[in-house]
Amino acid sequence: MIQLFHVSKFYDRCAALNDVSFRIDKGECVILTGPSGAGKTTLLKVIFGAEVPDAGQILVQNRNVARLRGGAIPYLRRTMGIVLQNFQLLPKKTVYENVVLPLVIQGVKRREARKQVLDVLKAVGMDHKQTIRTGVLSAGEQQRICIARAIVNSPILLLADEPTGNLDPELTVEIVELFKRIHAQGTTILLATHNQRVVEQMNGRVVHLQAGHVVSDEGVAS
Amino acid sequence: MRPLYLLREAMTNLRVNRGNVLIGIVTTAFTLVCFGLFLLLYLNLKNLTGTLQGDVEVVVYLEPGASEQVVSLVQNRLQTEPAAVALTFVSKEQALREFAEQFPEESLLLEGMDGNPLPASVVVSLSPRFLDTESLSAFAERVKQLPGVTHVAYSQDWIDTLTLVVSYFELGAVVIGTILAVATVTIIANTIRLSLHTRKEEIEILRLIGATGAFIAIPYVIEGTILGTVGGGLSLALLKGIVEFFRLELNASGWFVGVEHILPVFPRQVSFLLVATGMLLGCGSSVLSVFGLMKVRN
Repeated sequence: MIQLFHVSKFYDRCAALNDVSFRIDKGECVILTGPSGAGKTTLLKVIFGAEVPDAGQILVQNRNVARLRGGAIPYLRRTMGIVLQNFQLLPKKTVYENVVLPLVIQGVKRREARKQVLDVLKAVGMDHKQTIRTGVLSAGEQQRICIARAIVNSPILLLADEPTGNLDPELTVEIVELFKRIHAQGTTILLATHNQRVVEQMNGRVVHLQAGHVVSDEGVAS
Repeated sequence: MRPLYLLREAMTNLRVNRGNVLIGIVTTAFTLVCFGLFLLLYLNLKNLTGTLQGDVEVVVYLEPGASEQVVSLVQNRLQTEPAAVALTFVSKEQALREFAEQFPEESLLLEGMDGNPLPASVVVSLSPRFLDTESLSAFAERVKQLPGVTHVAYSQDWIDTLTLVVSYFELGAVVIGTILAVATVTIIANTIRLSLHTRKEEIEILRLIGATGAFIAIPYVIEGTILGTVGGGLSLALLKGIVEFFRLELNASGWFVGVEHILPVFPRQVSFLLVATGMLLGCGSSVLSVFGLMKVRN
């Protein structure tokens, strides 16, 4: 699914990623952990094509992301769901309008899109709020909408960068449970977090980053 | 892609940025009005030149005491000229009558004079093929040599001057048109850039979920096109108003009785041109503003 070969990325001669190599197989759940500034966000960014690595190669579903032209990046992103810490929702649009957006972009027919959105909103427990503007929702609800938007087009890969970073412990448990359910349905997950409780609850393979290096790859955590 | 969705997004952009959009529309309309006024001035001058050129007549003045024999000799010679299409003899009496009709206030001047000081003349209508300056002056020179002819007059000089003015206007139209077009493009492009800036976060989100540059850019191009078209329409309404006002004023002045055809005209093509120019400028400048969206990777 994802293969990284000696990937390095520098910002002003400072290494955010330094010779990182590992592989994620289809259906795996990988937790990327490490302190702030370890390179977790940069690693996710090079995978979804927001950053170009200075060295190394990245294969995502057999496509070399490092060599993809700008015009091909949107099509790469349509094969993956992306969840970020700061929600990234359109506050003036309703829950439904936010979640349906990836399907609109891909040109899915209105009726089919409606069905998919309602299914996914039900899955995240937000189907009763589809007509409400996302700006008035709580943090936990907003993150559930983000996750719904990320999985509405049934991606085979879900990338999440600190998805519980802005949530209190109770909501964190809720969101982690949601990720586990999505993983149980066969979606490959790469989740970056510095929250140890999330690492423990996700019960997946843990890759530990520090100062841009992979310092441990623990396989399935106990 | 869903065209309706993109159109709705464009309408949202227009609604959200209505203040800037209004300024964009008004300034576009203003620049197009300036351009339109210049264009109309040019077209009307050209029209007037064409009308006058078709009306060029040569007046052959005869000696005060020219006998009937001399008059018919001159007329016979003129009839052999290929440039002459029609001849009209104007006797001394007729000339006096026409002078009194055309200049009733000045007719008092003639009252104190002995007899009729105006000469008889032959008015020659010319074939359009001989209306250029060279043919006209050659014709005049030949006619001047005829016995009994004192003077040959024609109005070509100032028509030539008018033609020269029109050609300067042509050059001016290109220069002013270019300057105004650049100004309009800058104004609309800035309005669109402002619109892009206010929706920066939304654009980032769209990119994150796989929107192509074209998908993001199209609503802004529609926005710019609508802005330009409305600006063009507004300028058309303003120009029509201005031209109509001048027509009424000139009609009321009574200066153009009998020659209404030289009053300002507003060709239909100008209406189309103004709206089309507004639309093209709006579309072009928004494409210019969103061009960067197509290239940015993140």
